[in-house]
Amino acid sequence: MEDPDEAARPSLQASPDKLTSQVVWLPHDSGPAPPAANTAISTNGHGANNLWYALYFPQLAELGTVQQKKHLNELAGLMQCVSSTISFHPLALICEIRSSLKYFTSIDVIHNKLQQSLKTQLEEWGLVSDFLYAASPTITGSLLLARSGHNTLVYQKDNLRSALGELPTEVLELDKEQNRRLHNMGIRYLKDIWRLPSDGLRKRFGSSFVNQLSKALGKAPEPTINYLPPPAFNTAYELPYEIENLDRLLPIADEMLAQLCDFLQRRDLSTSHLLFSLSHEKRSPTKVEIGLRQSSRSQKHLMLLLETHFNKLIIPAPIIAIKIDVRNFDAFFGYSDSLLEKSEPATRQYNDSNLDRFIEQLQARLGENHVKGIDSVAEHCPEHASQLFDLDNLSEIKENRNKIPERITENLRPFWLLQNPVQLTLRKGRLYHRRRISIVSGPERIETYWWSGVNVRRDYYVAREANGSRLWIYREKTAEKNWYLHGVFS
Amino acid sequence: MTIIRNHQEAQSEHQGKYNNLPNNMACSHEEEHKKDHSSHIDQLLHGNPNLWRGCDMAGQGFHGQSTGFSQLDDILPGRGWPDKGLMEIITPHWGMGELQLLIPLMRSIVEQGKWILWISPPYLLYAPALVQAGINTEQILVVKLDTSCKDALWSMEKALQTENCGLVLAWQNWLPSKVLRRLQLAADTGGTLGVLFKHHVSEYSPSPTRLKIEDYSGEGHFNESRITLLKARGNFRPLTAQVNLYQQA
Repeated sequence: MEDPDEAARPSLQASPDKLTSQVVWLPHDSGPAPPAANTAISTNGHGANNLWYALYFPQLAELGTVQQKKHLNELAGLMQCVSSTISFHPLALICEIRSSLKYFTSIDVIHNKLQQSLKTQLEEWGLVSDFLYAASPTITGSLLLARSGHNTLVYQKDNLRSALGELPTEVLELDKEQNRRLHNMGIRYLKDIWRLPSDGLRKRFGSSFVNQLSKALGKAPEPTINYLPPPAFNTAYELPYEIENLDRLLPIADEMLAQLCDFLQRRDLSTSHLLFSLSHEKRSPTKVEIGLRQSSRSQKHLMLLLETHFNKLIIPAPIIAIKIDVRNFDAFFGYSDSLLEKSEPATRQYNDSNLDRFIEQLQARLGENHVKGIDSVAEHCPEHASQLFDLDNLSEIKENRNKIPERITENLRPFWLLQNPVQLTLRKGRLYHRRRISIVSGPERIETYWWSGVNVRRDYYVAREANGSRLWIYREKTAEKNWYLHGVFS
Repeated sequence: MTIIRNHQEAQSEHQGKYNNLPNNMACSHEEEHKKDHSSHIDQLLHGNPNLWRGCDMAGQGFHGQSTGFSQLDDILPGRGWPDKGLMEIITPHWGMGELQLLIPLMRSIVEQGKWILWISPPYLLYAPALVQAGINTEQILVVKLDTSCKDALWSMEKALQTENCGLVLAWQNWLPSKVLRRLQLAADTGGTLGVLFKHHVSEYSPSPTRLKIEDYSGEGHFNESRITLLKARGNFRPLTAQVNLYQQA
């Protein structure tokens, strides 16, 4: 495989021109595999004869995890044209191409086909349009080769060991401590690791490290996280004769809804928007839209809705065909009952997956930046003591749940904070906001950031406005000694 | 801290009149039976908010979630907040102690493992205040202010339908009664309590519980607020309680 633009590609861990001499260029494997082996591939999917083509997108690293996932998902959609098995990995997509190699005649054809569509998509997002790639008989092997920037092609498993041996240890993406330890042991390349006994490595670097290496060599099974194309459902039925009475249509619609519900159940989805089109001869079809407030996948419920729609429907001509389109898929909200009644503590009763889906649904509708979690920060300056954070995934929050709560000052804090403090007017020795303000308690001196040049020196007071609201106000001690409104107790 | 409740005295008089009647007529052995039954009936009456009693339920029963303010419990049917449905809290302006009022409720909801959703609050929500109030910030979701009204209402409805959310707080001033009914329906299906904060009293609002908070300090009652229960399931007329919402200060 040739490297089309060596110079333009960002060098990742190793400079490419230094490594070009080491590119492992192996001859085409001799003829097609025997048919027996081919059937083995189709049955278990990870047969010995697979060829995995890895695409590595280092430019995605600067994006957030949610954005990364979204982009990878879209890129995987584009890759569907060359392979049916596409697996997700951090910053990379890996697809199986042995099965389609014969159809595309050579790997270069596949590469060119992919490069065109992926480049335009990446450019559309405003990202660097180049990516790194490699192919080998194992998933981890391809990923490591792609990360190294080699753009290598290894056809046979026997050659993997020597091909991977040329890679620097950085491609393993270990943590700092492990990297340091490897460096101290004098290990720079993977071939140095091959020489070491695996028992000792397991002891020193943990089993995941050894696992990764044996996966790369094809000695351990490699699970894939497969790309699932977005769901789509439509079904049509052409009637053998024209129907004028809508009641006659109901059994057919029932049959079609059964198909739909079956599909939804298999995909664990539900629907909230259906479109029925009833076709007529030489006329535009009559459309019946069914929108559900709460998404459902119950055949009975959908049938009932359809019946009520049909009751008030007047058709202009006899019907010759009926079609169902699903316009909107939703996650299915299931309820799990406990086997023993109320045996679990109350905190466990609520299904977390439901909440996850609910948050996903909110984010999908409102946008990711609009739904936030909140946390307090150990910070002396009041405006920095609270932060909103993205809810990337709930499990991360749950991990943090057991941490020791940060200490909070004992002085009372308001529920509401003003983004920009509002200056209060001082007239005849009295403070005014909308009405007169009298001080209830205080002061609380807050002095901070004197080291950074922005000197924050304030005296905070709890105050009460004449109309009954309770305010958190402060007086600047630095410049003009102005009074500001900073929060509202609520 | 007195409760204005003149009507209850009148009511107890009224009940006494009728109580005498069956006592005169009943035989002695039937009386024992009746006692046994009446305790069951009492239990039903006090435990089930859906039974219509034809009398004021203020401060009676035990089906509510205690507010943490005994004066307020005394005027609420079931001695506390309803466990589901829509509630309106009306204040002339923000900062009247409307959140102080809900602190005990929020705390118990978080302890139950449910989440609290804040939909477009008027200012930045300040986490240290939540921590001080004993509310776990990890079970709080905030929908930011710059969401459109339509989206805010949509998320409120969805949150009310989800049983993981125990409390949904929203700041919306003018909502047509059709929308309020829809929200009420969602709250009923999810078993969730939704609270709407608003500035204006709308007389014919369909929300089953409506409260108004007014400033009452001044005449020697510093720190006091007057809470008027405009409407609640089981109450006939507006009742008023005086509560010190800022007990910590």
